[in-house]
Amino acid sequence: MLSLLAKFFKVLNSDASPGQLSLGFAFALFIGLTPFFSLHNLIILFLVCVIRVNLSAFFLGSAVLTLVAFALDPLSVMVGESLLSNPHLLQTWTDLYQSDVWRAFKFNHTLLLGSVVIATVLFIPMLIVSRLMISVYRDRLMKWFDKLKISKLVKASKFYKVYEKLGA
Amino acid sequence: MKKWIRWSGLVGFVSVVTLVAVFWLFALGPLIKMAVEKYGSDAVGAQVNVADISLGFSPLSLTITGVQVADKDAPMENIVSFDTAVATLEPFPLLLGKAIIPDVKLTGVTMGSVRNYSGALVAEKSKPKSDNNESDSSESESDSKKSDEQQVESKALPSADEILEREKLLTMIYGEAFEGAYQQRKKEIDDALANLPSEKALKNYETDLNRILKGKFKDVDDFKQRKKELDALKAQFKKDKQSIADAKRAISEGKSDLKQKWSQLKGAPKQDLANLKGKYTIDGAGASNLAALLFGDDAGGYAETALGYYEKVRPLMIDDEAKADTKALKDKRLDGRFIHFETDRPLPDFWIKTLSFTMALPAMAKGSDSMGQVAVKVKDITHQQDVIDAPTRLWATGQNLKSIKSLKLTGLLEHRTSPGKDSFDLNVEGWNLSNMKLGLAGLKLVSSNLQVQANAVFSDGEMNTVGNGLFKQSKFDSKDRTTLAKEMVAALKNVDQFKVTAVAKGELTDPDVNLKSDLDSQLNKAFDKRIDQKQAELENQLKKKLNDKLLSYGGDYTEQLKDLNLIEGSLGSKSDSLEKLGKTKLSSYEDQLKAESKAKADAKKAKAKEKSDAKKAKAKADAEKKKKELERKAKEKLKKLF
Repeated sequence: MLSLLAKFFKVLNSDASPGQLSLGFAFALFIGLTPFFSLHNLIILFLVCVIRVNLSAFFLGSAVLTLVAFALDPLSVMVGESLLSNPHLLQTWTDLYQSDVWRAFKFNHTLLLGSVVIATVLFIPMLIVSRLMISVYRDRLMKWFDKLKISKLVKASKFYKVYEKLGA
Repeated sequence: MKKWIRWSGLVGFVSVVTLVAVFWLFALGPLIKMAVEKYGSDAVGAQVNVADISLGFSPLSLTITGVQVADKDAPMENIVSFDTAVATLEPFPLLLGKAIIPDVKLTGVTMGSVRNYSGALVAEKSKPKSDNNESDSSESESDSKKSDEQQVESKALPSADEILEREKLLTMIYGEAFEGAYQQRKKEIDDALANLPSEKALKNYETDLNRILKGKFKDVDDFKQRKKELDALKAQFKKDKQSIADAKRAISEGKSDLKQKWSQLKGAPKQDLANLKGKYTIDGAGASNLAALLFGDDAGGYAETALGYYEKVRPLMIDDEAKADTKALKDKRLDGRFIHFETDRPLPDFWIKTLSFTMALPAMAKGSDSMGQVAVKVKDITHQQDVIDAPTRLWATGQNLKSIKSLKLTGLLEHRTSPGKDSFDLNVEGWNLSNMKLGLAGLKLVSSNLQVQANAVFSDGEMNTVGNGLFKQSKFDSKDRTTLAKEMVAALKNVDQFKVTAVAKGELTDPDVNLKSDLDSQLNKAFDKRIDQKQAELENQLKKKLNDKLLSYGGDYTEQLKDLNLIEGSLGSKSDSLEKLGKTKLSSYEDQLKAESKAKADAKKAKAKEKSDAKKAKAKADAEKKKKELERKAKEKLKKLF
């Protein structure tokens, strides 16, 4: 975790594309917020592997968002429950239910559907917000941050040694 | 665009997925084998062994070979075993962890085959138990033993030995009383007999008396001396007489007491027998239930086998435990639930849509060939009938039947609502029975054409089964040459057709079974005799045993009584002879004088009589002489006249 964090800061401070970093965070929404052993996550992993997404950002984001998911699960269940119980969508769900492929995705599970919907809804905002934050960090905060006493303390710490080992 | 594609990532992903797929390809067979053996064993409570499992991919299928499901009650036997099972699988539901098997075909299905090694679960045997558990288990063992004993007791009329062992018998009570009294009286009599004069002593008395009384008294002193000795002897006589009287009384009282107790003891077996008969009788209900005696064993055996299999399969159909387990295993994070929608493609966790196999029917008699085969088809085997919204259905149809025209069994196992209900219908037509041994008088059904219709319903641990058997063109015979057997065969000659109805109701583990037949009324008389005979057999056995007990208490009482009577008789004769000795000898001394005077008087009388007789004879002779003279004179006068 420590090396992952160090790597993330290295990437954050490097010239890595903010778009790749933010896409990593965005994809991490699915892995973090939804139940891991689900078929859709296989697709996400495939996309993460194939698309030039920053893997450090993706894995770090996944780890952090998994913790967030514990708090967010009740909301996910509520969303899934309301969607699956919605009479207007009943026909859609019933149609999907006839297909083994869709059922393999466990779309009729309240937590899974709710969390996938939340992750999907947050995908674009996460993409934009994280990209903006990375730009702001690099433009304004990175130099100011270096001057802080705490940064100097950190540089003297074990964490920074790891960071250095990675060839920053 | 190319800038956004990571080719190394694509290669990596494909490599990882391929590796995982290859791993599963090799590991899935052994994993499924392990899962089948483990969960199968847990479900049936005995070892489930699988020789091999292999996967096929077009279509996705599973071939299982060499499956043996051990019988937990008889670990050296299999409930069922089969050579191969080929099951097709639906791939996508597998991703959901659901085993949907459209079709399973079994070959080489055998029930009750013998195993090479024990099928008992090793874990159960070696499982360490706490003291409490041990005591619990021992209690439960003893409970089960008790219930087994009770079952045995309720099943069969106990033997004479068993009855005598378990009952408090009057024979024993009176026998013990008799034994005690006998010992006491014997001691009293022995003590009394020890004081009696011996035969030798009696002879000595006689000698002494002869010595005292023989010859004439010389003088007064001689008389006095003899008188004194005689008085001493008389005193001894008196004492001995008293001893004899005591002994006689002891014997008489002993005899009377023992006779009274003996008569009680002798009557006790009869009373015991009457009591036992009341308790262990083959009463009217039994007497009229000929069908139970004739067909009870066979019907009971078939029913037990069928129930055994049903009880083994039943737990697999109930989802309660599975539901509880699923709930317990739920991940804390993974809250939420599945919402199911209407579909013609429901997906329970496990579902065999169609299972089909053919198996051999058992042989009608030991050593004979199988009755044929039965093709079994089972649809919708699952423990989640509510998900597929369909019950499990079963059809079994006879094939290549040798002695049966047609055999059909249908079953409906409905567990969508609680409590579940399982119902079965059996229809057998044209079953040619031959040489079927019946449970009475060596009777056998030489030939008959049987038609069976049965319906069984199991629900909530209760069963309700009704079976009707119509026997046509029946011929009976018996090896026995007893009156009953002959009468039965004779009576049965007139019976061409009869019906047997079997009803089993109540708890699944202990149903009330009743067999009725219209044969009963036709053979009531014959059966009455059989009942009497059976009753008499039991009575005789009981009588014999009770008499043995009686003898063990009384010993050979009659012999002892005879001895007592002999002793009593000899005492009487002893007493008489003593009395006679005393009286005879004393009276002969007094009579000596009287006899002497009487002899003198008699001699005088005789002399006088002799004289008078001589006179009378002389007078008579003279008179005769005169008479003859007169006759002669008269004859001469008459001659002269003519």
